[in-house]
Amino acid sequence: MKTDAWIRALAADTHIDRRVGDLLPVRLAAAIAIGVVALGLIHGYRDDLLLSLGRPLSVMRFALTAALGLIGVRLVLLLARPEGRGLARLGPLAAVPTVALGLVIWAYLETPEEGRQMALVGKTMVNCLVTIPLLSILPVLAVLLTLRGGATTNPALAGFVSGAVGGGFGAMVYALHCTEDSPLFYVTWYGLAILGVAMVSTLVGARLLRW
Amino acid sequence: MTTDDWGHLLAAANSGDGQAYAHFLRTVAPVLRGVVRTKGAGLGEASCEDVLQEVLLAVHLKRHTWQVGAPVRPWLYAIARYKVVDAFRVRGRALSLPIEDFADDLAADTGPDPTEAADMAKMIGMLDGRSAKIVQMIGMEGASALETGQALQMTEGAVRVALHRAFKTLAVLRERHVR
Repeated sequence: MKTDAWIRALAADTHIDRRVGDLLPVRLAAAIAIGVVALGLIHGYRDDLLLSLGRPLSVMRFALTAALGLIGVRLVLLLARPEGRGLARLGPLAAVPTVALGLVIWAYLETPEEGRQMALVGKTMVNCLVTIPLLSILPVLAVLLTLRGGATTNPALAGFVSGAVGGGFGAMVYALHCTEDSPLFYVTWYGLAILGVAMVSTLVGARLLRW
Repeated sequence: MTTDDWGHLLAAANSGDGQAYAHFLRTVAPVLRGVVRTKGAGLGEASCEDVLQEVLLAVHLKRHTWQVGAPVRPWLYAIARYKVVDAFRVRGRALSLPIEDFADDLAADTGPDPTEAADMAKMIGMLDGRSAKIVQMIGMEGASALETGQALQMTEGAVRVALHRAFKTLAVLRERHVR
């Protein structure tokens, strides 16, 4: 087939796909909402939820995870564009774990030596490491499947950031249930859970986001 | 033509102006051909034309990822680079197969028209009969969607839907075909 003819055929197709930026917020919000409802039905929210919102250390769980998710969404929208790989800056995303690390150091110094071990291990570590990845599945899928409609030129990186977004929002939802308010606990175990989700998402994205 | 004009053309194309879109593709095709040939020196003109047609298909299916107001060139080149690397990786692997398998084809090669490419035609042949006919009528015979519909007893809208699906299928076929 001649290229002229090929162009004529292409130009006759007037259907144009919807933009990632138009689809992602709605799909992601739906995925998060389903997680909130499912968590309420299965584990229930913490009894002192409203009260806990008055405590900065408790609120930081929501703030850090939401920040990770939102900064990640911005990055994902950039990476969805072919030229986005050159425009994307990972600095803002890295700021979240940096702040979290500062919080851990502060909490380590603040916690009396005999209480550190208990604060770190907590009582719900296993539940945290299982439930956060489960709550992350839908948000991660929402991001990855929407990104398939984009044109990322760095599928692995886009997969990683998708995992950070889904893991961040998954952990944010989990914080509605979790009663562990020490940064020693939540930065460590939320962080580990999110990292695990991001690793898996990197591998999935590297395959799924090729085009 | 300046890059700014490309932006105007593509913006018009993406809001449904078919003529602006055809103009855009015809304008960028020679530029992309240059990119492909520079990167793929040694592949031969016909193979480069194959790759160019793949790049054009990618540009077509991903044209909604261009942001109005953003420069067109970085967007276009990013698509071209991605598809060219992919295409050459694939052909590099294909070339490592034993040469005897291709000996007949090579002998039969009589030097095609420089803008003539074989791969896309082969893949169009892998579509269902009606889709293949639609792509051929509109592309090679220059028929409109309406005329194609009349010939195939379909509505114009149905022809357009089938055409769009055909391009999506071709992109998927190419992925499978080459892996």
